[in-house]
Amino acid sequence: MSLMTPGNFSSVTTKEPAASVPKAVPKPFPGIRNAVKITPAEVQLFSKYIYGLCGINIEASKAYLLETRLGKLLESERCDSFTTFYYKAKGDTTKLLEKQIIDAITTNETLFFRDATPFDLLRHKIVPEMIDHRATTVPNGSPVPLRIWSAACSTGQEIYSIAMVLRELLGPNHNYSIKLLGTDISDAAIKQASYGAYNKFEIERGLPQEKLHRYFSPLGEMWKISDEIRAMATFRKFNLMESFSSLGKFDIIFCRNVAIYFLLEDRIKVFNKIADSLEMDGFLIIGSTESLTGVCPRFIPKRHLKSIFYQLK
Amino acid sequence: MQSLKILVVDDDPVTRSLLTKRLAKDDYQVETAASGVDAVRMISHSFYDVILTDLMMPGGVDGIGVLETAKENNLKTEVILITAHGTIDNAIVAMKKGANDYLQKPINMDELILRLAKIQNLKHLMKNASDLRIAMEATEQASSETIQNLEMTVADLQQRMTAIRSTLERGDLPADERIALALKN
Repeated sequence: MSLMTPGNFSSVTTKEPAASVPKAVPKPFPGIRNAVKITPAEVQLFSKYIYGLCGINIEASKAYLLETRLGKLLESERCDSFTTFYYKAKGDTTKLLEKQIIDAITTNETLFFRDATPFDLLRHKIVPEMIDHRATTVPNGSPVPLRIWSAACSTGQEIYSIAMVLRELLGPNHNYSIKLLGTDISDAAIKQASYGAYNKFEIERGLPQEKLHRYFSPLGEMWKISDEIRAMATFRKFNLMESFSSLGKFDIIFCRNVAIYFLLEDRIKVFNKIADSLEMDGFLIIGSTESLTGVCPRFIPKRHLKSIFYQLK
Repeated sequence: MQSLKILVVDDDPVTRSLLTKRLAKDDYQVETAASGVDAVRMISHSFYDVILTDLMMPGGVDGIGVLETAKENNLKTEVILITAHGTIDNAIVAMKKGANDYLQKPINMDELILRLAKIQNLKHLMKNASDLRIAMEATEQASSETIQNLEMTVADLQQRMTAIRSTLERGDLPADERIALALKN
């Protein structure tokens, strides 16, 4: 699943790209698509470029990923080589191409209630515990704040799954000041998350029929999230490589299956920034196959039934 | 590839028979319903990949009613509506409600077969994607158990190591006692 292995930093950080511009591959038969191939030097060039844009590490062995994911953009920009495309993207002052490259290269693999255990954990352990704890620290009568961040929310399924859990747990009238923030590096993903409409393939994955009918209404070929659930969340574009200071503090952070695309040194930075952004009694949930061993000793793993969550030491 | 299971819904026996024969010729599994009411009953008992239904039918349940029941029952069922000339507006309403497609009467059989082939292809792709998903989830679950067990073990070992170190570094005890205490830990 991972696009990287820790320890292999050389492919994106050290070697300089070759300056030569390769010739376009001739098309032997008119009308038959002959996709532009990427040269090893161009793989270096793009790995470095993409790393700089969003921190995603693409190893040299994953050249096909660049070809398949950027090929369409190359075609629509009528570039006959990856080098031409590179310079066109770099020279684009509107930054539109840059955004399109990020949209194309990021993996938006997500689904409602992906791996059910974190949502059970949220429902049965984290939120009740948080509420009990907060009730002792917040003055009587004032709304209890509950700030949750989905650090790589992709097209919104995770944050809306969290919102559904909270809606069911707390009911419609509660005395909590709930803030759900979803951030992602991809403009296209944020746009879809913000619109809150999903096609039937997205709906059929992970969402129980009962929740579909309760929280969604059909909109042509799509299903749109109810206004009540939509209103609980806000979305914004955010690059995890940047400073987190503009985001404020959170009680619960979901950072699942995104750090796997980063180099170890960047994972260390990201989880340290997460530690700084988490309240002292806050909770962190990472992907079920991820580990913080050797990444961030400030967190201590704790087990609850079949899942693990992290808290600050 | 498993052939699609199709329900043909039409109050006209001739159309039913024509469609059944043509679809069976292409190895589709076909069942028929003579009214919307019959169709609704059949849909609630059995899953159909595709429902091919007339839009206008007597008896209280029309094509839209069949479509709505089918979609409530299972979103994976695709519905193709058959419309008479001049009822295109209704067909568009049906498309908005989730119909896969519509065909105008008289039905062009070649066109119908093409549409069904497309649906079959799409279902095949979806099956592949779903198989892949299931395989990925199984792998993910197995590896997550291993990783999470390791994570807990490492955290526990680290805690013990820290305790041992602080015992060994104690200044108030002679070395042999510190070692004995550390080993006990």
